[in-house]
Amino acid sequence: MVCRLWAKSVTLCGMTGERNVVLARALTKRFGVNTAVDGMDLIVGAGERVGLLGPNGAGKTTTLLMLLGAITPDAGTVELAGFSLPRHRTRALARVGFVAGYLPLPENLKVREALTIFAGFYGIRRPERVIEEAIARFDIGHLAEQQSRELSSGQRTLVSIVKSTLHQPALLVLDEPTASLDPDVARRVRDSMLDIHREFGTTLLVTSHNMREVETLCERVVIMARGRIAADGTPSGVAAQFGTDDLEGAFLEVAERSRTTGPGPHISAGVRP
Amino acid sequence: MSNLAVTGTRIRAVMHRHLVVLRRSPHRWFEISFWPAMDVLLWGSLGVFVARQAAATRAGTPYLLAGITMFWVFTQAQFSIALGVNEETWTRNILNVLTTPISELEYFAGIALFGLLKLALCVSTLTVVTAALFDFNLSRLGWPAVPIALLLMVNGWALGLIGVGLVLRFGQSAEILIWGVNYAVLSFSGVFFPASALPKGIEVVSRQLPTTKLFDAVRRQLDGTGLSWSSMGIAAIGSFVFLMLAATFAFALLRVFRRRGFVTRYS
Repeated sequence: MVCRLWAKSVTLCGMTGERNVVLARALTKRFGVNTAVDGMDLIVGAGERVGLLGPNGAGKTTTLLMLLGAITPDAGTVELAGFSLPRHRTRALARVGFVAGYLPLPENLKVREALTIFAGFYGIRRPERVIEEAIARFDIGHLAEQQSRELSSGQRTLVSIVKSTLHQPALLVLDEPTASLDPDVARRVRDSMLDIHREFGTTLLVTSHNMREVETLCERVVIMARGRIAADGTPSGVAAQFGTDDLEGAFLEVAERSRTTGPGPHISAGVRP
Repeated sequence: MSNLAVTGTRIRAVMHRHLVVLRRSPHRWFEISFWPAMDVLLWGSLGVFVARQAAATRAGTPYLLAGITMFWVFTQAQFSIALGVNEETWTRNILNVLTTPISELEYFAGIALFGLLKLALCVSTLTVVTAALFDFNLSRLGWPAVPIALLLMVNGWALGLIGVGLVLRFGQSAEILIWGVNYAVLSFSGVFFPASALPKGIEVVSRQLPTTKLFDAVRRQLDGTGLSWSSMGIAAIGSFVFLMLAATFAFALLRVFRRRGFVTRYS
């Protein structure tokens, strides 16, 4: 119920009134001989907008899926909104929403049906009003009676955001939400994320390969390389650390170093700026 | 809302999800109506043909029709679990589900309960077809058909859970097992005939199976000899032990699924 207040100022969640929505310690995941995530610490405070960046294969998606309990770490601990995984998975995920640009909704469901069903998964008993409000807020009324298979990529992403915020989560995790979207639709998706953040104080944890987008959307960026945190700070701060003009320059520098030597300097791994 | 109310809401959401799929997918009616009806036609006709060859085998047709009907009770329960989860892999929805608060038990409860609806539709179809084509009334089994059917459902859920575990572990290629494994039950459990008719080595295995005792109970009802309560008791214990073992197996492979990151196969 505390999280229902969701947003007036600083969100307090979980059993102990945690101010950290994500608290991951020493997360490690190996697939065979490859180490996808290597002892990563990540703390995300309530109300933050954090971009999780890195070259392909850096371990971003694996990290997100471990944070969401869909992949079990080989070592390390995860707490979401004060609830540890996997023990309190249900209570933790009741405070989290997940959107992935690559993940479709079930194609044999109409949008309104999918929203009703996912509202049920989130435990919303009478979801009609919540769904109508969400449809109005995101201006997707014209899509409500369409089947998911009929939606464009951008429409699918928007509907996924609606689906993942019906329960007013404390944390919204977005994995490449604007991948393969044209600039106009991508901007609409970004605006939706910012609206949710502003209106409800929702914490955003976003992966993206679009550095301009991240600079617009996030107040903090965490760059991963080879499963470790290579940089953590404000977008301009990270750029300055690498002696580049912008975030894209810092990203390219990290990618180059990870190809040739290793994950690069730890600027402030796991520590909020 | 209490935890129980939230659980009820989630289970209803699972049932709603699969009801919509069934309503919108005409081909899904094949497993509910068409294939069971074809089985009745096949086995019923075989029974009639054999009965015409020798008067002593006249009991064969009811054995075959009651056996195939109860076999479909078992199969529908198995499909409800196995295909319920497969629906999420086919539509790449499994990651969406895994990142919501619904628990595995709530999900399985939802698909098992939805399976009851499919089972009711299937049995209704079979009742009509056996009556219309072969003048055989399933009510000949009497009230013992209820506990027999319930225990067959328990066995079907157990086999469905094993199928789910295998698909989670080995991917969609393991789906072939879901469609094929129930035919092992058809052969080993004496669906149409007593276990004594099986080859000796297989008979020994068959007699240990709870499903064998249940199909035997079906024939006892047709013969008018009544239920053997001791046999039914053993069948009940065996069925629930099978369900517990299958659930343990499925949950163990779900842990493997999470540990090895297999969810990325479906995203």
